[in-house]
Amino acid sequence: MPKVTVDGLELEVPAGATVLQACEMAGKEIPRFCYHERLSIAGNCRMCLVEVAPGPPKPQASCALPATEGQIIRTDTPMVKNAREGVMEFLLINHPLDCPICDQGGECDLQDQSVAYGRGTSRFEENKRAVTEKYMGPLVKTAMTRCIQCTRCVRFAEEVAGIEEVGAIGRGENMQITTYLEHAMQSELSGNVVDLCPVGALTAKPYAFEARPWELKKTPSIDVMDAVGTNIRLDSRGRAVLRALPRINDDVNEEWASDKTRHAVDGLTHRRLDKPYIRKDGKLVPASWAEAFDAIKPHWTGKAAVVAGDQVDCETMFAARELAGVSMLEGRQTGLAYDTSSLSAVNFNTTIAGIENADVILLVGSDLRREAPLVNTRIQKAVRKRGAKVFAIGPVTDLTYKVEWLGDDLSALAKAPKALADALKAAERPAIIVGGGALRYEGLHGAALAFAKKYKLVRDGWNGFNILHFAAARMGGLMLGYAHEGGIKKLATAKAGLAFFLGADEVDYGLFADSFKVYVGHHGDNGAHHADVILPGAAYSEKSGTYVNLEGRVQRGERAVFPPGDAREDWAIFRALSDVLGQRLPFDSLDALRAEMAKAVPALGVEGLVDYGWSEPSLSADVSGKIADYPIKDFYLTNAICRASETMQKCSAELVHGTHFLEAAE
Amino acid sequence: MTSFFQNLGMNYEAAWFTATIAGILLIALPLMLAVALIIYAERKLWAAFALRRGPNVVGPFGILQSFADGLKVFLQETIIPSASNRGLFLIAPIITFTVALMAWAVIPFADGVVLSNINVGLLYILAISSLGVYGVVIAGWASNSKYPFYSAMRAAAQMISYEVSIGFILICVVLWAGTFNVGGIIEGQRSHVFGFINAYALNPLLFPIAVMFLISSMAETARAPFDLTEAESELVAGYQTEYSSMAFALFWLGEYANVLLMCALNAILFWGGYLPPVDWAPLYVVPGIIWFFAKILLMFFIFAWVKATVPRYRYDQLMRLGWKVFLPISLFWVFLVSGYLMFTGHFA
Amino acid sequence: MTTITHLIKTFTLWEFIKAHLLTLKYFFKRKATINYPFEKNPLSPRFRGEHALRRYPNGEERCIACKLCEAVCPALAITIESEPRDDGSRRTTRYDIDMTKCIYCGFCQEACPVDAIVEGPNLEFATETREELLYDKTKLLENGAKWERAIAANLAADAPYR
Repeated sequence: MPKVTVDGLELEVPAGATVLQACEMAGKEIPRFCYHERLSIAGNCRMCLVEVAPGPPKPQASCALPATEGQIIRTDTPMVKNAREGVMEFLLINHPLDCPICDQGGECDLQDQSVAYGRGTSRFEENKRAVTEKYMGPLVKTAMTRCIQCTRCVRFAEEVAGIEEVGAIGRGENMQITTYLEHAMQSELSGNVVDLCPVGALTAKPYAFEARPWELKKTPSIDVMDAVGTNIRLDSRGRAVLRALPRINDDVNEEWASDKTRHAVDGLTHRRLDKPYIRKDGKLVPASWAEAFDAIKPHWTGKAAVVAGDQVDCETMFAARELAGVSMLEGRQTGLAYDTSSLSAVNFNTTIAGIENADVILLVGSDLRREAPLVNTRIQKAVRKRGAKVFAIGPVTDLTYKVEWLGDDLSALAKAPKALADALKAAERPAIIVGGGALRYEGLHGAALAFAKKYKLVRDGWNGFNILHFAAARMGGLMLGYAHEGGIKKLATAKAGLAFFLGADEVDYGLFADSFKVYVGHHGDNGAHHADVILPGAAYSEKSGTYVNLEGRVQRGERAVFPPGDAREDWAIFRALSDVLGQRLPFDSLDALRAEMAKAVPALGVEGLVDYGWSEPSLSADVSGKIADYPIKDFYLTNAICRASETMQKCSAELVHGTHFLEAAE
Repeated sequence: MTSFFQNLGMNYEAAWFTATIAGILLIALPLMLAVALIIYAERKLWAAFALRRGPNVVGPFGILQSFADGLKVFLQETIIPSASNRGLFLIAPIITFTVALMAWAVIPFADGVVLSNINVGLLYILAISSLGVYGVVIAGWASNSKYPFYSAMRAAAQMISYEVSIGFILICVVLWAGTFNVGGIIEGQRSHVFGFINAYALNPLLFPIAVMFLISSMAETARAPFDLTEAESELVAGYQTEYSSMAFALFWLGEYANVLLMCALNAILFWGGYLPPVDWAPLYVVPGIIWFFAKILLMFFIFAWVKATVPRYRYDQLMRLGWKVFLPISLFWVFLVSGYLMFTGHFA
Repeated sequence: MTTITHLIKTFTLWEFIKAHLLTLKYFFKRKATINYPFEKNPLSPRFRGEHALRRYPNGEERCIACKLCEAVCPALAITIESEPRDDGSRRTTRYDIDMTKCIYCGFCQEACPVDAIVEGPNLEFATETREELLYDKTKLLENGAKWERAIAANLAADAPYR
């Protein structure tokens, strides 16, 4: 714990801290461009210069200088001020004065810092350099003339996204940032470089020229594109959500968000259900709420089946459950039927942040990069920083880090290959991750549990048994009992007269041919096509909702905008319907509903990680066969919102199906 | 005029009736026109006092401004507040307007040119002008609105207060003239002062009450500086607040007809009416009606001049002036004048 | 003595007469006002009148949708929506000024980096309906075309002091 003095303030800093971090601890703001807490240190922008003694009598880059015992650091001397002004003047030499047309304007580090630390004038009279635009894919718009070569994007691509496709070519003034051969960035995290870029060189293409940061209403929310539960901020103007940005939550998403999280928001304004529909003579015709409710009434027998989709909030599922009863609930649309007697056996027990510390990881039938990109970055970090070993059973796919593929035969689980067995025996914190989709293989769940037992994956202070879900509603649904014995196929045989589908678009509706199907959801997708009555609901941006992510973390998002047209918040729909059906639900407000929900499932009343307690159900460990494929075929089109989003369709066409949209380079 | 119609072959009753109607029209219609022009003139005068130009766009020198305003008012919607007393609300402006015209019946425009040459003409005028307050009070009451009601209360109190002193002032004049007949009062002024000036006002004994009458007539017509009934800084627009369109126009016309009447009364009672200023033969070449109108206009100029100069009184000041200054002085003056007349054997 | 003077002054209405003589003096003075619709006062080059959106001499509109005017507008009278034009440049799709909200403070033209939005010398834009005062981009560009010469002259005249 070295002791340093910052501007006369003496303080102890942790060993290994840099001078910049020491200054921050002392409450001094150090301007910086290239330094970023979650990336490696480059020290190339020189903005963070401070005066350090003992040392050479010149300003030093604080981000790259370790803090040592007895250092006297000054951030307020004329030398530091001069140095900063000088660096800023150099940075601005080649930076164009096009802030008015730059999308970064208003949230630009360079703008802010040149106001705070710059001189205000330039002595540079020669021509500024100009750089041709580079193509970085359908999500990242480039204006490389604005680039100040901080290389944050390069470091992010390599260290976090794990793709070594972004780099700098040329030297000195001619240095340019580009992707390899100007291909699109092959990453599902490419949008993060936009946030990282301290200037307007990299901006979001779908959001180009849409709005200024100061005119946006910012609402904290939770992402529903995958089960990670990324903490996001929805920026809205009027009734439209214009963009989604990650919020910092070190336990969940650090400060990253996947491209789907960021850019599927334009799907919230397309193909929306904005009024109720009733099927008449085989055709869906618009109706009023009262007509729609009256159409449901004859089919009401006191209970109903409820199938929850992947993006439903707990409030909706709870309201539906209260109305329809607990006997016929299912959330696993695609037909999974795994045992849910112990929630800890279907949970991501290691936690997202915890998986970083694992030293040996076995992936079973899990395409992490598509199913949970932000969990993948954690493992990438574990591999890169801590030297973790990753083994995998399943078809070979690119996970951005080194993986030892054990083939796609599931028998490897029963009888581990020697390399895996040796590694596990030597491991201190071994972990297994079973893909949620792989649970469809009979006996895999039991085999994985047996595997965990055999190699002591669950030990003191460490639980290495993980199931990786990829539906945002899954854990919440399981907590609310949305799991029918034998799965959805068994549920269909119960022949419910009335079935509610809560935004369920992946269901095989053929199974429910005999039931009167009521679709409560927000997009005119698969579910709406098969429904007999459509009740328009709210998307995740349009309601305050509770979500439980794959590690069992209860999180709440707020409403950013109002639902379009006649659409209403889903819980309110069930409340209104309950009146018509003569079975009034006991809550009139969201708060009352949440109180009821907390009474029924106490864990849902508290934000934070739920402790399920470790218990193993006894399941058959017999497993055979091969993992044929992964459940997510097209990362960009996994749900109704994505499918309605033009941006996601473009991404799918280019990044998954290889259509070329090269446009920027001239 | 009756004989003119009799000559056309009518019997006396019909001729008298026709002549009276014709006489009324002959007075009322030009009076309307005069009011329109007097409003224009007043605006021009105020503008001049304030170094402005005044209306100058509609017609030559803006002379048609009043007609343009009138047209605008005609085209407006008549708004009757739902909470008002509808009948009274509509009748109020009609009362104000009618009463303002009625007094003109006994005003001689020239020697013998008078609609109704009655003996108690001055009493008639006093009675009619007192009735004028009814229009205002009814308007304020019927509007069923705070400010108009305040305004009506003020108007009633103000007009009654000043009519008391006006009454005593008139008694002085009547004492001197020895008649209530308006024509008689004018004739009484012929060569009144120094044997050649045709005006009571220049009689040293009557001059102070001439001034008092001028001031009182401003208060009586609720003109500045006594326009507390429509003090816009306190009462929005006073009793006219709820009025629009024609009803509003009638108030406006009535008000200015009243102002003209008061100017005429000033001219008649103290400045010799249709007589030329001095009793000098060549001046009689100019017809009496011209002298009369000239005097009215001069009086009106003074009215406008005062309005452009003196700020509005406070209500308590107004009442104090009426009851504590004008009433005792005018009472005293009745005593003084009658005493003088007794002493000089005027009544002999 | 003063009491007597005061009494005399009171009963001769001395102050009133003085006041009336004063106003009478002004009655005959030259008019201070001008005959407005026919005569006009000169306007400062900085006069802030009706808004206009200008174009470059080649016909390209100046506005680049930076939204600084919208941000600085204290009356929230300006509404801008923007998107990339077909050639990729940043342009407005909507530029509305609610002239009934505008307080003519001139912040918008101060904020404009390209001299696109300006308050021109026109002050005679009264309308018969309220709706006509809700200016859209077309109307503002028309104003720009109509007043360009006067605006350019004003800007040039004021340039040395900026």
